[in-house]
Amino acid sequence: MPDVFWMHSNVAQKYMENDLLLKLNDYISQSEDIDLANYYEGITGIYQLGDAQYAVPKDHDTVALCYNKAIFDQYQVAYPDETWTWEDFYEAAKAITDAGQGSTYGYSIDVGNNQDGWWNIVYDYGGYVISEDHKTSGMDDPKTLEAMEFLGKLIADTMPAQSVISENGSGTLFTSGVTAMTTQGSWNINTFYTSDNSENFAWSVLPYYDQNGNGTADPGERCTIYNGLGWAAAAGTDAPDAAWSLIEWFCKEENQVKQADLGVTMAGFKGASDSYPSAFEGMDISAFLDMESEGTLVVRPCSKYTTNWETMMGETLVGAWNDVSTMKDACTKIAAEMNAQLAQE
Amino acid sequence: MKRKMTKAEKTEALWGWFFIAPTMLGLLILNFYPIVNTVWQSFCKTGDFGRGNTFVGLQNYIDVLSGSEFWVSLFNTFKYAVIEVPFSVCIALVLAVFLNRKMAGRSIYRTIYFLPMVAAPAAVAMVWKWLYNQQYGLLNHLFGSSTGWISDPKIAWISIGIIGVWSILGYNMVLMIGGLQEIPRDYHEAADIDGASPIRQFFSITVPLLSPTIFFIVQTRIIGALQQFDLIYMVMDTSNPALSSVETVVPVFYRYAFTYGNKGYGATFVILLLLIILFLTVLLQKAEKKFVFYN
Repeated sequence: MPDVFWMHSNVAQKYMENDLLLKLNDYISQSEDIDLANYYEGITGIYQLGDAQYAVPKDHDTVALCYNKAIFDQYQVAYPDETWTWEDFYEAAKAITDAGQGSTYGYSIDVGNNQDGWWNIVYDYGGYVISEDHKTSGMDDPKTLEAMEFLGKLIADTMPAQSVISENGSGTLFTSGVTAMTTQGSWNINTFYTSDNSENFAWSVLPYYDQNGNGTADPGERCTIYNGLGWAAAAGTDAPDAAWSLIEWFCKEENQVKQADLGVTMAGFKGASDSYPSAFEGMDISAFLDMESEGTLVVRPCSKYTTNWETMMGETLVGAWNDVSTMKDACTKIAAEMNAQLAQE
Repeated sequence: MKRKMTKAEKTEALWGWFFIAPTMLGLLILNFYPIVNTVWQSFCKTGDFGRGNTFVGLQNYIDVLSGSEFWVSLFNTFKYAVIEVPFSVCIALVLAVFLNRKMAGRSIYRTIYFLPMVAAPAAVAMVWKWLYNQQYGLLNHLFGSSTGWISDPKIAWISIGIIGVWSILGYNMVLMIGGLQEIPRDYHEAADIDGASPIRQFFSITVPLLSPTIFFIVQTRIIGALQQFDLIYMVMDTSNPALSSVETVVPVFYRYAFTYGNKGYGATFVILLLLIILFLTVLLQKAEKKFVFYN
């Protein structure tokens, strides 16, 4: 194991429970540069077990909507903006799909596009994927099911066949002009920034779901799943002090700002990402920051063995993607299997 | 009484060990140790990071054999083998006979047919994946169709089988050409004089005399086909709707052992596959005595 490395929410709990990570509490309390209150709570929380802190946030990401202006112009559909609800999104996507006659579609996501796709809709509807204590699945929650029913409508009316999405990936279908919209995480901006047709691409915040029907996006109605890596050190390192000083250096405000400045990624330090959009000259990607100011951050669902139920979730949903009438059954099945897995963690 | 070794003999024996040591060490560390370890793990509920393995006896075997996943993947494995082995052997045999004659451009053809064998299997899989692509693939472009060659559960297993045949054809052919060159010319000359047709000669002389080579190829290809992994892993994405009708045993093992980190449960799949292959090999060895003609 190296002395210093990145941790990810998918596996953090497994590493922490097996005592493989260096406990950082004492270092943090003595540090002049690091105060955990300055970092995104959700990301800090991913790397906590009980009172122990095992990593300091390196970065964070959000999700936004990318659309192809040329396709919207061609079919005379208004561009997405912050007033869009998911219903407006559906109508626009359907209009494009209907007019596209099998060669152009409104939207596409595959079963595995969870963080950058359907998980956001689930939380917008007030549903959840996993309970806060990581003990139970929310996939059979009534609100989750409502969101998944809506997703079924999107799949049936606005997307190419699932086999096409699976073989090509939703990002490729978008960059090659088959779909008019894609939801993407900030970690993927460069794919679209450097794409051949990037002059046609523009970003908007994700649509919201008007739970209370008051016509505006209230907290919890425009969610973006967010995740972030953490800088961690090995419990068995020979040089814990040196390891910490490197972590401290990476995570202090000055270098977090530099990380965003250089366009590497948005920072784990709150407020240090303001210069991030300027790294993408000629493309306005401020929607990713707007998702934080106008939306609600929801930390990426995870548990000790995230990958196990995440993979199972995707495999089970393949059937529902191909026959949306089975969506509810698939979700109930996922909930049961996920609960069984979580009970064994 | 055991004779003591002379000093020279001792030195010679020592050097003998010295020279085989690299291979021995390689086999012990890279093959033997993992085999023993895999067998052991299949009796364990394995812990994270290889720590805290607890012995659970036959529990993994009971779980694997009572679930449907093993049987489905085993069925898929045989579906793959049923395409790959017969077709790759028969086509290679015909090609070998033609390319063993005197003809213009013989070595060019031999090279062309052998080329897939030189390419990395992963690269081969990626190229075919793009040929088969439903949206942009060359096949659908040529036929003007929109067939899901690798995502329609009804045909995906055949598409995968075709890649398998294509990849191994040249290798089988080269082995068969080697076998053909061992056959003395006298037999065919005598048959010519007796007025036997080329077809008759093929079935009555070439095939029987080539049967040791054919048998060797069939046996190694059956074992190889049952261990199929890279094609499925590279071509079939986890969200592919046809995956469950194509996924063979080894990719399922990989998923459990390395994606889910459940090494004990995964190990059980490959140990069961090992037993099946051993059993088939014994059967084939018995069949050898019956069907193979040694000069």
